[in-house]
Amino acid sequence: MKRFGWQWLAASSVLLASAVSVSVSVAGAETRPQYGGRLRVAMREAPESLDPCAGWGELQVDSLARWNLMRLIFETLVTVDDRGRIHSGLAVQWQAEPGNQRWRFRLRPGVKFHDGGALTAETAASALRTANPSWKVFGERDSVVLERDRGNAELPAELALPRNSIVKRDRAGKLMGTGAFRIDDWQPGKKLILRAEEDHWRGRAFVDTIEVEMGRSVHDQLVALELGEADLVEVAPEQEHRVTTEGYRVNSSEPVELVALAFVSDAQTAEEKLLRAALAHSMQRGSMRSAVLQGAGEATGSILPNWMSGYGFAFPIDAELKLAGHERAQVGTAANWTVRYDANDSVARLLAERVALNAGDAGIGLQSRAADMYRPDLLRSELRLVRIPLTSADPWIALANVAGTLGMAMPKENGEEVENLYLAEQALLAGQRVIPLFHLPAEWAVSAALKGWKQGADGSWRMEEVWVEKDRE
Amino acid sequence: MTFRRKLLVMFALTVFLSVAAVAWLVSRVTQRAFERSEGDRTAALVTQFRREFSRQGEEVARRVGAIAASEDASRMAVKLSRPQADAGPYFELAKTAAENSRLDFLEFVQSDGTIISSAQWPAKFGYPEGAVGSLAASSDGGAFLKQEELQDGTALGLFAVRATRVGERPVYVIGGRRLDKGFLSGLDMPAGMRVLLYQNRGERFSTELLVDPSASAAENARSAVKLEPLIDAVRRSKEEMTGAVEWSGDQVGDEVFHAIPLLGAGAGKDRPLLALLLIGNSRRTYVELMRHIRSAALMVGAGGILLTILLSSWAAARVTRPVEQLAHAAQEVAAGNWNARVDVLGDDELGQLADSFNRMTTELLAQKERLVQAERVAAWRELARRLAHELKNPLFPLQLTVENLLRARQQNPEQFDEVFRESSRTLLAEIANLKGIIGRFSEFSKMPQPEFRPTQVNGVIRGVMQLFQAQLEAPGRAKIVCELQLDPHLQPVPADAELLHRAISNLVLNAMDAMPLGGRLTLGTRGDSGKVVIEIADTGSGLTSEECARIFTPYYTSKQHGTGLGLAIVQSVVSDHGGTIRVQSEPGRGTTFVIELQRA
Repeated sequence: MKRFGWQWLAASSVLLASAVSVSVSVAGAETRPQYGGRLRVAMREAPESLDPCAGWGELQVDSLARWNLMRLIFETLVTVDDRGRIHSGLAVQWQAEPGNQRWRFRLRPGVKFHDGGALTAETAASALRTANPSWKVFGERDSVVLERDRGNAELPAELALPRNSIVKRDRAGKLMGTGAFRIDDWQPGKKLILRAEEDHWRGRAFVDTIEVEMGRSVHDQLVALELGEADLVEVAPEQEHRVTTEGYRVNSSEPVELVALAFVSDAQTAEEKLLRAALAHSMQRGSMRSAVLQGAGEATGSILPNWMSGYGFAFPIDAELKLAGHERAQVGTAANWTVRYDANDSVARLLAERVALNAGDAGIGLQSRAADMYRPDLLRSELRLVRIPLTSADPWIALANVAGTLGMAMPKENGEEVENLYLAEQALLAGQRVIPLFHLPAEWAVSAALKGWKQGADGSWRMEEVWVEKDRE
Repeated sequence: MTFRRKLLVMFALTVFLSVAAVAWLVSRVTQRAFERSEGDRTAALVTQFRREFSRQGEEVARRVGAIAASEDASRMAVKLSRPQADAGPYFELAKTAAENSRLDFLEFVQSDGTIISSAQWPAKFGYPEGAVGSLAASSDGGAFLKQEELQDGTALGLFAVRATRVGERPVYVIGGRRLDKGFLSGLDMPAGMRVLLYQNRGERFSTELLVDPSASAAENARSAVKLEPLIDAVRRSKEEMTGAVEWSGDQVGDEVFHAIPLLGAGAGKDRPLLALLLIGNSRRTYVELMRHIRSAALMVGAGGILLTILLSSWAAARVTRPVEQLAHAAQEVAAGNWNARVDVLGDDELGQLADSFNRMTTELLAQKERLVQAERVAAWRELARRLAHELKNPLFPLQLTVENLLRARQQNPEQFDEVFRESSRTLLAEIANLKGIIGRFSEFSKMPQPEFRPTQVNGVIRGVMQLFQAQLEAPGRAKIVCELQLDPHLQPVPADAELLHRAISNLVLNAMDAMPLGGRLTLGTRGDSGKVVIEIADTGSGLTSEECARIFTPYYTSKQHGTGLGLAIVQSVVSDHGGTIRVQSEPGRGTTFVIELQRA
C-alpha cells in the first residue's frame, strides 16, 4: 500500500509537470504581443470636445472617460503612477528653485507633434498658458519655465493632469498632440477613431486603430461586448456580477469617482443651511450602495476616498432621519428642489430617485429629473447629481480638482500634512455646496481578444502593452 | 286649372301621400328593428369585452403566479428567510422578471410589507408597500384594480398578488399591467369597436385623464370634451351607462359609448371609482345601412310616384276626355250652336251623360224652334193687336164721320156742306193719324246702321238736355228738376252721335212721361274699367218686375198711347253699339236705365 502510494505520487507528479509545462507554453504564446488590429471601445460618456482645456473652471463636470481619451492623443510634461510618484513624460528632467516658486522642465528631444512639427519649449509654454491663464510660463531654449506667486511643491503632480497636456493649435483651431495616437476621425459626442502614431517617442503602439463609440448605455455596451462588437466596455455596478459570471474579465480601479449632490452655490441663509443639512442627514447611503450599486464602491461623507486621504472614515455616512426631520421642521415652508442627473446614466437615475425618496422622508420636497448634463444652461441647475473624477492619486490635486469642478475656492494650504488636507476638505464641505454620497471605482470589462489592458489606481488607461488577438473572429 | 289637371294632382297627391306614409312606416319599423339589433350587438360586444378584460386579469394573475413560482423567486425567498439577509442583490430582480413576463408593474415584497425590489419604482426598495391592504388575503385572489403610486404620479393597473412560500416568511409578488394605451391597444376588440379609459383622479373632469389609444393628444382632448357629460354622470352614480356621442354633423361618425365604472377595493358604495372604461361602438354600419334603405325607399318611391303620375295622366285623360267633350259641346251650345253633339263612348255613367247631353241639346233645339215659332206667333199677335188697336182708334172716328156724312146727306142736306167740311177735316186728321202710325212702324223697321266716330257722351247728353230744356220748363207742366252728374274725365267712345242722341232722347221722354206730377231727372256718366256707363234716372212711379222683364219687347208699352217701340229702338241702338242696357226699378221708387258702352 505504501509502495503503491509512492508510485502513484510519482506518476501524478510527472503528469502534473507535463501539464504545467504545456500550459506555460500556451500561456507564453498568448502573452506574446502582436502588432495590428483594431481596439473597439464603447462608453457612456459623449464628450463634445477633446480639448483638454474645455470646460475647466466653468462648473464643467468632466469624466474619466474623456480624460482617458485625451491621454491617448496628448501628453503631459510628467506623469504620476499609482503611488503618487512623478515620472518623466515630455520632460526628461525638472528642477525647482528653492521655495518651489520657479520650476524648470527640460523637454525631451526629438518629440514631434502629429503634424510632424517638433515640440518646442515655446509651444509647450503656450499650451500651459492656455490651460492656466494665471500662470507665468515661458520657454527658454529647450526648457519650459514656470513661475508661481507662491511655492508649490505639488506643481509636477498638477502638471500631470490631462488639462495640462501639451497641445498645439493650428490656425483653424485644430488640436495637435504628441500622444501615441493621432485623430483619424472625430464626430463629437458620437465616434472617435484614433490611429497609432508610427514615430512616437515611446515606440509604436501595438494596435493600429482605436475606435471609440460614445453615448452608449451600459446595457448596450454589454450587449456589444457579448456580440463581439466591442473589446472594452464600461461596467455598471449592477452588471458586475453578471459580467463576471459570463466569463469576462472585469478590471476595477480604486474608487476614483465621487458621486455627490452638488448645489450651484454655497448655502446663503440659515434656512438654506438647515435644509441642506436635513437633506444630507436623510441620505440612506447604505441602502443605496447595497441595492443600486450592488455593493460596489464606498459610501462616503467626504470628498476624497479613504484610500487617498486615510481619514475618510471620520465623516459620518449613516442616515439620521430624526435629526433631518428636526432640521427640516425648523425651516417651515420651503420651495421644492429638483435634482438633475445625466439622462444617459442609469445608475444616476436610480440614485437620484432614491435621493428624492429619502428627502421626502425628512419632509423635503425633491423630485428627480433627467437632463443633458453637458448643456450649459443645466450646468447652472440648482441641484445636480454629479460624478466627478478625482483625476489624480495626489489627494491635494484631487481635492483641488473637485473644488475647481464645482466652482469652489480651494482653501489656503498651510502645509502638506494630512491634517491640513483634512481641514481643507472640512472647509470645502462647510459651504454645504456638495453632499458626498459614494466613491466609485472605474470598472471596465475586457473581451477575450484584448490583451495587456490595465488601468491605474486612478482609473487611467495603460495602453502601452495593449494588443488585440488577430484571429479573434 | 282644368279638370284633367285637378284629377292628375289629386291622383298624384294621393299616391305620394300613400307612398310617403308607407315609406315612413317602413322606415320607423326598420329603424326600431335595427336599433334593437344594434342594442343587442352592443350588449354582446360589451359582454365580449368583459370576457376579454377578465381574461387579461387572469393572464396577469397567471404571469404573477409564474414569477412567484420561479426559481429566482424561490431562491430569493430562501436567502431572505435567513437572519440578517441582505435584499440588495435582488434589487434588479423585479425589473428583469417584469421584462421577461411583460408586466408593467412588479414588486417583491417581504412579509412585513417592505419592498425588496420594484420594477416600476426601483428606488423604492426598503420602503413599505402600502397600497395592498392585506397581502396574505390578496395572494390567492383574482386580479383587481389599483392606483399605483409612481415617482411621477400615479397609474391605474390591473394587479394580482401571489406568494412565494418558502419557510415561515413568504415573499409576495405584486404584479400588474398598466391600463394605458398599450393595454387598451392589446385588447382583442371586434371591428368597429374601441375602448377608451378615463382615469378618475381629482374632483373635476380633466381632458388629460382620458386615454384613447387611437388618438393624438389634440384628438384626445376633443374626444374628452364630447364624452364629458357621460363621464360625469357615471362618476356621480358609479353605475353603468350608455350614451351616444356625435363627433360631427355626419351621423356616420357617431358612436354609442357604454361606460363601465371600474371600482377599487372596498364594499358597496364606498368602493372608490378608479376609472371608467368607455366602450365605443361605431354607428357607421347602422347609419350606412339605414341610409342605404332610405335611399332605396326614396328611389322606389320616386319611381313609383313617377309611374303613378304617368298612369294617372293616362287614366285622367281617359276619364276626362268625355267630360272635356261634354264641356266643349256645352260651350258651343252656350255660344248658340244648338247642333253641338258628343260621342257616346260607352254604357258607363259618362256614356249615359253624353247621351243625355245629346238628347238634351236635341230637345233644347226643338224647344227653341217651338219657342221661336211661339214668339213669332205672339209677336204677330201682338203686332196684330197693336195694329188693330192703333188702327181701330182712327178708324172709329172715320166710321162715325162717314156715317155722320151719310146721315147728314139724308136728313139734313142743307147742312151737308157744313157737315162735309167738318167731317172732311176730321177724316183728314184721322187719315194723318193713320199715316203717322204707319210711319212709326216703318221707321222702326228701317233703323239705320250706326256710323262710329269718337264721340263725347257728355256732349251728347248736354245736347239732349238742351233740346228738352224748354219742355221741362214749359208753363203749366209739373216741375221736373234736371240734374247732370257727368264725369269730366270721361274718354270718348266710338259711337254714332245721332243714334245715341235719339236713344237718350227716348229715355228722357220716357222719364218725363213717368213723372206727370213732376220730380227729378238725373243724367249721369262715369268710366268703369274700359266701359262708359250712362245712367238716366227718374223719380217716377217705377215699374214692376214683370214690366222690367218685358219693357224692351217691341210694341210692349205700359202707357195708354205708347207704341211700345221707343225702348225697343233704344235697345236696338245700344245693341248696335255693342253695349248693353238694363233697367233698375221698383214701384214707387223711380226707374233707372243703365247703358254700358265699350270704350274701344
